[in-house]
Amino acid sequence: MASTACFIIVSRNDIPIYEAELGPAVKKEEAAHQHQFILHSALDIVQDLAWTTSAMFLKAMDRFNELVVSVYILLNPLYLPGSRITSSHFDTKVRALARKYL
Amino acid sequence: MEPDMSMETGSMIRIAVLPIGGPIPHQRVREYVSMLSRHTRIDLSSISSFYSEHQKSPFTHQPWESGSLRFKYMVGGAPPSPWEDFQAHRKILAVIGLCHCPASPNLDLVIDQFASVSRGYGSAVAKRLFAFSPSDEQLEEGREKENSIILFPPSDQQAQELHMLTMIQDLAATLLMEFEKWVLRAESTGTILKTPLDSQSNLSSEEVIKAKKRRLARAQKTIGDYCLLAGSPVDANAHFVTAIDLARLTGDVFWHAGALEGSVCALLVDRMDERDSLLEEEVKYRYYTVIQLYKRSYLQDNAQRRFVVKEVVELLMNASDGAKSLIDANDCLILYVEIARLFGALGYQRKAAFFSRQVAQLYLKQDNTSAAISAMQVLSLTSKAYHVQSRGTNRKQHGSLHEPGSNNAESGKIHPQSIISLFESQWSTLQMVVLREILMSSVRAGDPLAAWSAAARLLRSFYPLITPAGQSGLASSLANSADRLPSGTRCADPVLPFIRLHSFRIHPSQMEIIKRDPAKKDWWTDSAPSGPFIYTPFSKGGTTDSNKQELTWIVGEPVQVLVELANPCAFELMVESIYLCIHSGNFDAFPVSVNLPPNTAKVILLSGIPTKIGPVTIPGCIVHCFGVITEHLFRDVDNLLLGAAQGLVLSDPFRCCGSVKLKNVTVPTISVVPPLPLLVSYVVGGDGTTILYEGEIRDIRIRLTNAGTVPIEQAHISLSGKNQNSVMSIAHETLNSALPLKPGAEVILTVIIKAWKLSLADPDHDPSKSTSGIMRGVSKEGSNPFLVIHYAGPMSNTDDLNSSEASVSPGRRLVVPLHICVVQGLRFVKARLLSMEIPARIGETPPQPVSLNDNSSEEITVFSRIDSLVKIDPYRGSWELRLLELELSNPTDVVFDVNVSIQLDISMNDNNLAAVDHDTAEFGCPKTRIDHDCSARVLIPLEHFKLPILDNSLFAKNLNLLANDALISKSPSSTERNSKAELAASISNLVSKIKVRWQSGRNSSGELNIKDAVQAALQMSVMDILLPDPLTFVFRLMNRRSRTDNIDDASKVNGDAIKVMYRSSISAHEMIDLEVLIRNNTRELIRMSLSLTCRDVAGDNCIDGNNATVLWAGILTEISLEIPPLEELAHPFSLYFLVPGEYTLLAAAVIDDPNDVLRARARTDSADDPIFCRGSPFRISVTGTA
Repeated sequence: MASTACFIIVSRNDIPIYEAELGPAVKKEEAAHQHQFILHSALDIVQDLAWTTSAMFLKAMDRFNELVVSVYILLNPLYLPGSRITSSHFDTKVRALARKYL
Repeated sequence: MEPDMSMETGSMIRIAVLPIGGPIPHQRVREYVSMLSRHTRIDLSSISSFYSEHQKSPFTHQPWESGSLRFKYMVGGAPPSPWEDFQAHRKILAVIGLCHCPASPNLDLVIDQFASVSRGYGSAVAKRLFAFSPSDEQLEEGREKENSIILFPPSDQQAQELHMLTMIQDLAATLLMEFEKWVLRAESTGTILKTPLDSQSNLSSEEVIKAKKRRLARAQKTIGDYCLLAGSPVDANAHFVTAIDLARLTGDVFWHAGALEGSVCALLVDRMDERDSLLEEEVKYRYYTVIQLYKRSYLQDNAQRRFVVKEVVELLMNASDGAKSLIDANDCLILYVEIARLFGALGYQRKAAFFSRQVAQLYLKQDNTSAAISAMQVLSLTSKAYHVQSRGTNRKQHGSLHEPGSNNAESGKIHPQSIISLFESQWSTLQMVVLREILMSSVRAGDPLAAWSAAARLLRSFYPLITPAGQSGLASSLANSADRLPSGTRCADPVLPFIRLHSFRIHPSQMEIIKRDPAKKDWWTDSAPSGPFIYTPFSKGGTTDSNKQELTWIVGEPVQVLVELANPCAFELMVESIYLCIHSGNFDAFPVSVNLPPNTAKVILLSGIPTKIGPVTIPGCIVHCFGVITEHLFRDVDNLLLGAAQGLVLSDPFRCCGSVKLKNVTVPTISVVPPLPLLVSYVVGGDGTTILYEGEIRDIRIRLTNAGTVPIEQAHISLSGKNQNSVMSIAHETLNSALPLKPGAEVILTVIIKAWKLSLADPDHDPSKSTSGIMRGVSKEGSNPFLVIHYAGPMSNTDDLNSSEASVSPGRRLVVPLHICVVQGLRFVKARLLSMEIPARIGETPPQPVSLNDNSSEEITVFSRIDSLVKIDPYRGSWELRLLELELSNPTDVVFDVNVSIQLDISMNDNNLAAVDHDTAEFGCPKTRIDHDCSARVLIPLEHFKLPILDNSLFAKNLNLLANDALISKSPSSTERNSKAELAASISNLVSKIKVRWQSGRNSSGELNIKDAVQAALQMSVMDILLPDPLTFVFRLMNRRSRTDNIDDASKVNGDAIKVMYRSSISAHEMIDLEVLIRNNTRELIRMSLSLTCRDVAGDNCIDGNNATVLWAGILTEISLEIPPLEELAHPFSLYFLVPGEYTLLAAAVIDDPNDVLRARARTDSADDPIFCRGSPFRISVTGTA
């Protein structure tokens, strides 16, 4: 299962601004939903944890069954809150990186 | 929190009231309690007899005169509060037992029972047992037990009450003394006070000194509490102040808050009788601080707990890992339920939702209805975390946010989000999954309303993400659910269509409402209609309308609101009914049904009738669609569109239906006002356009009807629009005399219109027309004048409850367009001034001086009547006859009859010389007919305008001007300008007397506007037309028989009469007696030298020279004459013609010493130039043989 992953960027007010299902394995729709549900629920823990540590990378901070959630807490000062990431170039890059490392 | 709390609760002594002994009848209990509860305020002054000061009272500022103790009776008692250390008033400080003696014969038993019951109230410092209606034996017995039981012997009500009062006062005194004792002890030995909060915090970690100070603060606070209870707010305040300082120092936030709260109570009790706004502000401010402090103490407590959360989360995660190893699904379900519950308790809503959904999925795996119901319920619990909750539950949660104790900061954060949460694209995949699961579970659970609601939420929020097939599927599940619902079911979640406010139908110009300023007589003046745009039927974001923040509706008059509906889905939407949703209850809305094809938007008109006076708000529409009634709020869609504009929302439903972007429609404040009069206009003969030829004059009759229910009391007509001067008259008085115009009454108003002249730019170059390609007729309206009628009913409405300025009912404005289409009519081509010369004749018959005979004056009048304009006196001649020639053409296809008329001033010349009309004011030429495509010329003689006298006064004004015209202007001054203006006025006066009227067919008649052209034609020679010559000369034959007649009499002879007398011709070879009459037309005496000549047809002088053919007698040359002003002189002479033929007699004079007037008339400046006057030539026809 390590070969499948879901990558989401969440902005302020918990709005997901980029979503990508990654990994070579063919996923059922049901599984894809499950990934998002887990990531959504992990936000509760991220929200608390983020204020207790100065680390920007929270490795395996949450899990459900075999699915592990790791979080990068980043800040882009140029980001317009609420806008989605629609760049296809960015999407290609993300998928290329996923192929390389997953 | 306790019920019936108030800020003064801190000063109330709680007394438990307990029934003791046998069962007391209800009636009795009520009686006894009511007797007690009359005494809630016991004045300190009344208890002084029971009070004895054992020690020095600690309440040094006790107000014995004005203060009081306050009792609060807790009937049935109360359990001890864990907070009673914190606030002394929470303690039960006294116990009163009530005993009904007939039910409890044994008093000892009663006393024992009371003792044991009151033992439960450890904080009670005074105990009393009241026994009512004792028997005689009991009375006897009771006297021995006076200390433990107080008997109320049976007596009348008044005595009982007095007894009770005494007992209560005694109790009050006891309590006061006990409080003193308590305070004294507390001050000396100190006391340990705790609250339930303290039990949880770790006391041992506190520093010792700090703990000691804290203890002191708490003691001071409690002493303050007792001072309050003892009715001494000043003492209380002093202790509270100490307590506040100490608590602040030691960070004892909770007790700090408590002390501050107590101080508020002390302040209030102290200033009970003098409440003012300042005090209120002070209390508010202090209470705000109190609340802040309580909150802080809570947070402080929370921070300590956060520490453990992390560990709990870790444990729960491990526990969920364990679920894998559970074989039984039910075990797993229970585990997940617990995990969800615990996460929820931690405030991890998303985690809780996640595990709840796991639970729901496990339920759904079981195939039975109850499991489906459970799944549905669990899922609906998750809907908040996923922002897909039903609006019904949402509303409840919103309500709870405002309850006390909730975190303000939190609610502030949630609120703006939740408004658009349903439309937000956040986690749309999850939201759709959850909604689909809710729908599925509801269907399985057999809850059609929940299913409908879920399907509605899914479709409305996520239609862009759902395939057309999926949308249709949802539509059918909506319909299926509705089939199972009773008709008329309401649901909080709207589905389709999307509805936004489009615009308000502004009052058409026919019924516009105008605010009335009662102070101003012309109340309408500040509200001029906005020109040609008055016809814009509804605002399309127009500048005038969008600013309009206030709208007035009128009771009983239908109103219309435009809304836009959008159906962005792939199926056809049937809206069974839609109508405006108005909660204020003063509006009857009319439902309509609409059909919306797939992916379309439609603007529809929703109407209704206001029924009652008051404000109206329109939050949205009520829609009956898919079998369920829902409320659609405009605000929601506005937020959605705002979100779409910012990219937060999936899609703009209106834009995807191809509808244009609307400007944000601001909902104006709408108020309904009492009925107003309503004027309706109708043009008699039809509202169609009246076609008029240029200059045509026509009466337009307008029928005005009051269609309202209120009489019209004031009305004012004004004009607006273009070509206002074409309205010649309005029958103002007709309307005014019809006032007040009762409901249903009507009045007919006549407006006389003279069609304006078409300018070249008018028909085609009008910019307002070319932009909008509407009908031709509309573009014509741009040039129409409007009648603007401002009218109003009674000043104030008796129904109106609000007095002041609101009671002035507004007025209204009716705009009546005068629909006129002007077509080209008779054209005026040009005007020219013509001069001509017609020599006069002298007849053969000698003149009969008719005027000598006074009796014949009537006859003269007959002769003098002028029937025609062209009046040339052939016997007088006319040297410089001036005629105005008007050239007219008729480009139309009808025939015009032209009639030129001249108005003259009556009695222009009293002292007659010239043959000028006396008595007719107006006369006309014969009609001239002009066929279509023909031209005609009309001649107007201008002779009649000549003034009789060459007057100095008139002349002096024009003197300079004439000089300027003729010569070089020397010094243009204000007098010149003045005189120029006067000249212009005299010209226009002259011109205005000439009227060219036309008639075409039976109905059309009008007047040609030729003023400008005539003015231009006359401009240069107006003086010649107006001014007479200084001298006029007339020749006449003398009557042979009366040659010696008095010449003076001749002056009286009417010129017209004379010419009749001269009929017969003159023979040759005969001495002809003639005379020349010279008239002085000036007001000065004129001296002159007169010369007479006679010329033959060749124009040669036939008196002088060698070939003279005429012999003469008398003086013909260099005759020196003096003529007094305005008088006539005759100079006789005789001629003898040798040769028959045509001769011409001429008179000429050189004026000696001419004055300025004469010089000006002659247009000369130089004093040396001779002024030469010449008379008109007279023709003599001499017959006979040579």
